[in-house]
Amino acid sequence: MPVYAIVKKSIAAFLLLFCLNSQAAEHFYIDNASISKRGNGYSLNATIHYPLSPRVIEALENGVPITFLQHFRLSEPFPVIGAYLPWDWRETHWSTVISYQLRYHALSEQYILLAMDTDKRRNFPSLNSALVTLGKIEQLTLPPEHDINPDTTLLEIQSELDIHALPTPMRPGALISDKWQIASPWVTASWP
Amino acid sequence: MSILKRLNRSPLPYYALAALLLTLTVLLSTATQDSSKLNDLFLPIFGLGLFTLLLLIGLLFRSLLRLYRDFKIKKPGSKLTVRLVSAFVLLILISTTIVYSFSVHFLHRGINSWFDVEIERALDDSLELSRTAFGIRIRTLLRQTRMMSGVLSEVPISEFNTNLRDLNDLSGAIELSVWTMDGQLVTSSIQNPNIIVPDRPNDAIFRQLRQEEDYIGLDPSIGDKLQLRAAVLIPRTGADEDEKMLHVLFPVNEQLSDLGKTVENTYTDYKELNYLRKPLISIFTLTLSLIVLLTVLASIWFAIWISRRIVHPLQELADGTQSVASGNYNTQLTTKGDDEIGFLVRSFNQMTERLTHARDATLVSHRLLEEQTNYLGAVLGSLSSGVITLDEQLLLKTANVASSSILDTNLQPLLELPFSKLSQQHRHLQSFTELVTTEITHKTSWHQQIELHSGMQLQILMCRGTPLPNSAGWVIVFDDITTLIQAQRDAAWGEVARRLAHEIKNPLTPIQLSAERLQTKYQPMVPDNQTEQLQKLTNTIIQQVDAMKEMVNDFSDYAKTPSLKIESIPLAAFIREVIALYQSNTQHKISLTEAPDLNINIDSNRFRQVLHNLIKNAIEASEEASMPVDISLHYKSVSLSGQRWLELTIEDLGPGIPDDMMTTLFEPYATNKARGTGLGLAIVKKIIDEHQGTVWTENQEPTGACIIIRLPLEKTTL
Repeated sequence: MPVYAIVKKSIAAFLLLFCLNSQAAEHFYIDNASISKRGNGYSLNATIHYPLSPRVIEALENGVPITFLQHFRLSEPFPVIGAYLPWDWRETHWSTVISYQLRYHALSEQYILLAMDTDKRRNFPSLNSALVTLGKIEQLTLPPEHDINPDTTLLEIQSELDIHALPTPMRPGALISDKWQIASPWVTASWP
Repeated sequence: MSILKRLNRSPLPYYALAALLLTLTVLLSTATQDSSKLNDLFLPIFGLGLFTLLLLIGLLFRSLLRLYRDFKIKKPGSKLTVRLVSAFVLLILISTTIVYSFSVHFLHRGINSWFDVEIERALDDSLELSRTAFGIRIRTLLRQTRMMSGVLSEVPISEFNTNLRDLNDLSGAIELSVWTMDGQLVTSSIQNPNIIVPDRPNDAIFRQLRQEEDYIGLDPSIGDKLQLRAAVLIPRTGADEDEKMLHVLFPVNEQLSDLGKTVENTYTDYKELNYLRKPLISIFTLTLSLIVLLTVLASIWFAIWISRRIVHPLQELADGTQSVASGNYNTQLTTKGDDEIGFLVRSFNQMTERLTHARDATLVSHRLLEEQTNYLGAVLGSLSSGVITLDEQLLLKTANVASSSILDTNLQPLLELPFSKLSQQHRHLQSFTELVTTEITHKTSWHQQIELHSGMQLQILMCRGTPLPNSAGWVIVFDDITTLIQAQRDAAWGEVARRLAHEIKNPLTPIQLSAERLQTKYQPMVPDNQTEQLQKLTNTIIQQVDAMKEMVNDFSDYAKTPSLKIESIPLAAFIREVIALYQSNTQHKISLTEAPDLNINIDSNRFRQVLHNLIKNAIEASEEASMPVDISLHYKSVSLSGQRWLELTIEDLGPGIPDDMMTTLFEPYATNKARGTGLGLAIVKKIIDEHQGTVWTENQEPTGACIIIRLPLEKTTL
């Protein structure tokens, strides 16, 4: 067998393994994603549950800051091949990512939740309370009304761990380990 | 394809690989550093490293497979290449393993040395100490907060604002706020005028208070500055009154805050580092392993390439040497270089060049020698003398055509064989070989005459031997002088006969005439009783003179050499004509038994004498021995040495020829008869010689003699 064929097969096997690993870890889940009318615009309410794996909790308790990403996407799907086929093309009108960093403060024995974009921080005496607060999305303002057509537009939410924010030595292991590949599926919020 | 082949031979791919490996090493090294921008790309870089590793494995496998194939088919140079590669690989593996082992060891040791149980305990203790230090303050502040809540419980809600401000001023708190238990702000007092809305206590505090447990705790704020957060329920004065809580944020002494911050940061960093110890070791070991593996594989690949490069000129040299060994002297190698191998190749080329010149010179001299040998061979071949050469071991080295002809044996198969083989295979040449082997021991030139007896024939050889220069052997030259001696004898006998005829014949006639006159004249004069005696005496004289005349005539016949009158004669008729003359005697049986139809070119008169002499001889021999005269003649055509001959045989049943006369039978005066001149067979031989023929005798079993005449037969005579 030629060398390039061997290399090709090895890469394919590696990628397949990587993909399987990636798909094996979807632990976060989203509840009650709903949109409500608020003045001229819309706001989003949702609850994201963050059941952390023991590995993540261990890292957190050992002083490793963990970053959570919350993805929001307004998109308009339209079929490319045919109406009855499952696959369609999506045109994204708006998207944003909110990232939070959660870390443990050993002296105060508090969990500090830091909104990375606003630099706003809140302290929690327990991990659970911090995660509950993290997962509670209340009155998140969406883009103005004239940009949104609720009949055709979808608002999707997804949350995941930001592995790339982990310390460098942990990153390669986290990238190929399903214990760190924690993410929620994309969930579509319901329009009012 | 040609570009690929050229790339395969050139060092470019190896340089490219070396550059790639160096880049990969730098990238991997940089990516493993925490502060590097490349650490996000660690996995792609590592993947690239893995891809390079696979590529190298493929290339190495291909190279090794090629090497194995070459070794299996025993391609020149493959053995040396395998040896060199094995040595290189061994060296690479040993050195790399040692370096790798030590590196991994030091890596583990280095990273593990960052951590120590004592330090860990000290940090734990310092954290605990900090907590204790803050605990005293916390308890004081909790009491203070409770007191404040007690104060507030005494005043109506409408005066909360004023009291809060006073309490704030008195307690030195950052902010004081009153909240309902459902999270609604009642009132607040904040020291910092820039802050309008107070910090809302989180739900956990509300939950704790609902369980009637006061809350106090350290609270890291912006910039990890420490503050103390306390929350207590304000005691209700009436049952219908809503439950409220007092939430107070106290500042922490700056020095204490900084110290706490330092302890916290150090503790967290150490703990994080300790937690990251294993992944850190793993990632460094993995990176090191990848780099080492890449280096090892690249080195082995390079080792194969360099081995091939080293062996290639040697392989060319081996091929060239084989080529030279197989006779291709003008082999020139193309490998160039300034090193020792290049010098070797240049020397090889010079050697082959010189060899070519030497071979050309040898060819020229060989051709010259061949020409000289051919010339010598032609000279020797054209010689009528036999020439043979012997080396020091008495091996027959050369023998010309005449030598085989004279010795009547083919000497060519005996070349390079001991000379004594000649006598072993041909007994009649024993005296010749003995003479030669005896004479050459004297180491000087010699010549000697020798007689060879081949059957009933005598052959006389004159042999001369001369040693070759440098003791290289001997050259023996010999001539068959039988004919010469025979001719000398014949000439001598002819001269004797001629003189006899001349000297004796002349006085014979007067003697005979005188005797007749004596008889005629004196017969009447002598007394009667003496007449008979006179007649007898004179008759005796006359008869003896007749006999002498006959003898002189025979001599005359022998001596004269008249020119032959050759004519084509039908042989059978000719022989029948001759033998018809002997038919008168019924006791004689003479017959021609086998007579094919042949014509022969002969002088009929001379040949008739031959037949008469032979028949007469046979009759006389048989009669003298009182044996029956039974003579048979027959002839046939034979082919010898590419020529056709007539072979005429005359056989009798007489006593045969005595052995001692066999060799001298055809010489004059060779006779065993009572009567006769002894010239009959000599004349026969002379006439046959004149006809370019040969004659010899053989005895028959049980009795009888046989005379065989062989005459050349022309094609036209058929």
